[in-house]
Amino acid sequence: MILIHIALRNLRTHKIKSAIVGGLLVFAAFLIVVGLSLISSIDTSMSKSIVNSVAGHIQLQQKGAKDELSIFGQMGSNEIGYIHNFAEIRKALESLPEVAAVVPMGIDSSIVFGGNVLDVKLEALRNAVKAGDAKQAAVVGRHVRRMVALLGEELKNLKGLTDQAKMSDDMKQGLLDVTAANQPAFWDSFDQDPYGHMEFLENKIAKMAIGEDMLMLRYVGTDTERFRHVFDRFEMVDGTPIPPGQRGFLFNKFTYEEQVKHKTARRLDKIRDRLAEGAKVATDDEIKQWIKLNRTQYKEITFQLDDVATDEVKAALQAELQTKEADLAKLVDGFMDVNDDNFPRRYALFYKVIAPKIRLYGIRVGDTMTINGFSQSGYATTVNVKMYGTFRFHGLDRSTMAGAFNVLDLMTYRDLLGYMTADKKAEIAKLQAESGVKELARDTAEDELFGKGAGEQVEDTSDTTPAQAAAATPTDAPATPTPTAVAAAAKGGNGDGAKAFAKDQESHVYSQTELDGGVIRSAAIMLKPGVDVKDGMIAVNRLIDEKKFELKALDWRAASGLVGNFIGVIYAVLAFSIFVIFLVSLVIINNSLVMSTLERTREIGTMRAIGAQRTEILWMFVVEAFVMAVVFGAIGCAIGYSLVAYFGHFGLLASNDFMVFLSGGPRFYPALPPWGLPVAMLAVMIVTLISTLYPAWLAMRITPLAAMQDSE
Amino acid sequence: MATHSASHPIVHLSNVDKDYQLGAVTVTALRQVSLEIAPGEFTVIAGPSGSGKTTLLNLIGCVDVATRGQVMVAGQDTGKLSEGDLTRLRLNALGFIFQSFNLVGVLDAFQNVEFPLLLQKKLNAPQRRERVMDLLKRVGIDEHAHHRPGELSGGQRQRVAIARALVTLPRIVLADEPTANLDSVTGNQILDLMQELNREGTTFLFSTHDPKVVTRAGRVVRLVDGRIVAEETPEQYKNSQA
Repeated sequence: MILIHIALRNLRTHKIKSAIVGGLLVFAAFLIVVGLSLISSIDTSMSKSIVNSVAGHIQLQQKGAKDELSIFGQMGSNEIGYIHNFAEIRKALESLPEVAAVVPMGIDSSIVFGGNVLDVKLEALRNAVKAGDAKQAAVVGRHVRRMVALLGEELKNLKGLTDQAKMSDDMKQGLLDVTAANQPAFWDSFDQDPYGHMEFLENKIAKMAIGEDMLMLRYVGTDTERFRHVFDRFEMVDGTPIPPGQRGFLFNKFTYEEQVKHKTARRLDKIRDRLAEGAKVATDDEIKQWIKLNRTQYKEITFQLDDVATDEVKAALQAELQTKEADLAKLVDGFMDVNDDNFPRRYALFYKVIAPKIRLYGIRVGDTMTINGFSQSGYATTVNVKMYGTFRFHGLDRSTMAGAFNVLDLMTYRDLLGYMTADKKAEIAKLQAESGVKELARDTAEDELFGKGAGEQVEDTSDTTPAQAAAATPTDAPATPTPTAVAAAAKGGNGDGAKAFAKDQESHVYSQTELDGGVIRSAAIMLKPGVDVKDGMIAVNRLIDEKKFELKALDWRAASGLVGNFIGVIYAVLAFSIFVIFLVSLVIINNSLVMSTLERTREIGTMRAIGAQRTEILWMFVVEAFVMAVVFGAIGCAIGYSLVAYFGHFGLLASNDFMVFLSGGPRFYPALPPWGLPVAMLAVMIVTLISTLYPAWLAMRITPLAAMQDSE
Repeated sequence: MATHSASHPIVHLSNVDKDYQLGAVTVTALRQVSLEIAPGEFTVIAGPSGSGKTTLLNLIGCVDVATRGQVMVAGQDTGKLSEGDLTRLRLNALGFIFQSFNLVGVLDAFQNVEFPLLLQKKLNAPQRRERVMDLLKRVGIDEHAHHRPGELSGGQRQRVAIARALVTLPRIVLADEPTANLDSVTGNQILDLMQELNREGTTFLFSTHDPKVVTRAGRVVRLVDGRIVAEETPEQYKNSQA
């Protein structure tokens, strides 16, 4: 009691010492409380982001695979192995009381050509010709002619830049074709044989413009129906979910906006978002850059407008800019030179007048898209798949991490992987027999295609590059015939057969047995609510051992690779800074206590003389340290707790995409874990006690003689 | 007060030497000192600076031990006691009054006086309070019970120190130059108080080099160069000084 009193009195008397030591302890406690809150909150929210979007609580991969599964890891195929007996595994795992669901998956990325504008216009031209709408055909025709002319100019520039000798024969031929299509004679004779001309344009010219809409898409191939039910962050934005058991592709809304949307429109959206956050055009370098791009890339708009649309846009822009300027390029340039005042009006005008006349998204809901992948055996594969819609992971709309995942059905995924079901093999054999295809060279394939004047599916093959066709040739790759080969073979052999096959592909409903029966690369286990991941891991591992599955289980943290370890990095950084703070505190507190001990030598000597034992002196120091730790630790905790509580209530705006991912939503709500305050107090106490050891030892060595120091 | 076993001396020194090691040189502070203090005495150790007064008090006060010879305090041979036992002996049998008062600066008068009782852990709070307030009243400082030393004059502080020395009812109170830091008027008042307390039964042993103080003693032990040169009355001392 008197010791506490002395300790308190000492604290009050030695103000500077108390201020220094107290300040350090307050800061240390504050740092621990805030740090722990941040980390544990990030951990919780990030785990929600990861667990509920693609990872599940636990991921399975083949045991002994060369590479460890890394969901957010590098693009491209890594050797994470294969899981062959998923049906059995799923059944066993889902019988565990801890497990809610098991979802098969495979993560990969492929190139998708977003159907270039020329293709689209050619399709419109074909429709107009077919319908006998001469006026519309003339309008679209002129537009196509202008596009081909522009393409010719661009290629001329390209020709000048690249070394002719290095150009592939194919490229050289392509250049010749484009030159030919730009001759007035080609267009003069168009009406005499529109179909022949259109085929030439579709097959020879359109592919030359292919590069501009190349997308690199990362997707998770999965049982789409299970996926969307198990991962509760999944929600559709546009379109419809892929019908159960059917083939299909769903874009992540984030990717869709970022990559598929018309570039100018996307940049306008970004400017709008940025301005909404309070930025100003004049002071934001990124906005300035976007405006500059919009002005210089006016072709993105003008290229897509036919005569009629051009006139309408011109009129609207002239009105907006209050000018008589007739050059559309200059009008667009002026229109895109936005400022804080006119932006909202021009943004609205863009979406009202221009957007409906251009292709706002390279791939639209309902489109069939062509995915070009590299199978695991190294062959290029091409698969056509219907785009059903877009989805998002709730709360993670803005996150690049979660936003990069698109969804692909499992069967198509397997095709891209180069995996064949037994059914499929039989089907191929049957088709091969029907069509009598032994060898399919590019030239003969083309002849076949154009000779027959195949139906609407024909344009799909315009994307087939010679390399793919070669790779698709069964003789080249007898062991792994690819779906492209099948498709090409089907189309090549018989137009009706191709149609039927494509239709069959699109509407075929695969049974759960088929879905579960094939190969997958990994599987996500979602645990039942309230089940701890650690317990889940134990249960799953026990089952794997019991059943002798060739599987390795990873918790979501391990499975998410670097991202999952990110929390470990923050922990390390915090731990290190706390360590440094404590080290500094230790030295300073120790120093200041030694000073005060020396100052108090006579007082302590007196206490010893009048009968205080050494241990009582030690206790006095311990109590003093304890009081300091409690008082200042509590102040630090209180400040830290208030701060955390404040932001926990109002939230902290996630400043960038990665933060959104960490926060599991657009705002970050830190919360203090229940053990946060005790840990902070304990840490502060330990540090204080340690720094008291040496001065206390010094004090214990003070003899009662020190009381008599000035006596003689 | 504690006047039991009146027949036995409280302090008994026989042939005590005390050496100090100053580097390689051994300095002998006390030589062949033999001394007895009986209960109720009011003894002064007189001598010039460096004569060994404080060393002698330290040995009797159990804050130091003799190099040779025997020091018996309250019936115990201090040379044979452990550090902890010596401390207990100081706490229970001895009271200290220091030249510079040596109060604990962060405690008020009451708390300073109470402090030894807290170390003793014998009395409960009301008992302690009664004992402390009685003593503060006795030394005439009860009105300043809740003043801290910094707020008190030198004389007042020494009164608090005296109360602290007496609070455990010690067998003997040792005072090292208790008036050295006080003006003569205040010093006299303090000596008056100590004499009164002595008459009430407290045994005092104090050191001084001030001849005026020596005259107040009942018995004078004269110390020169670490030896007792005389044990005499104040009158004899006065004569010898003259």
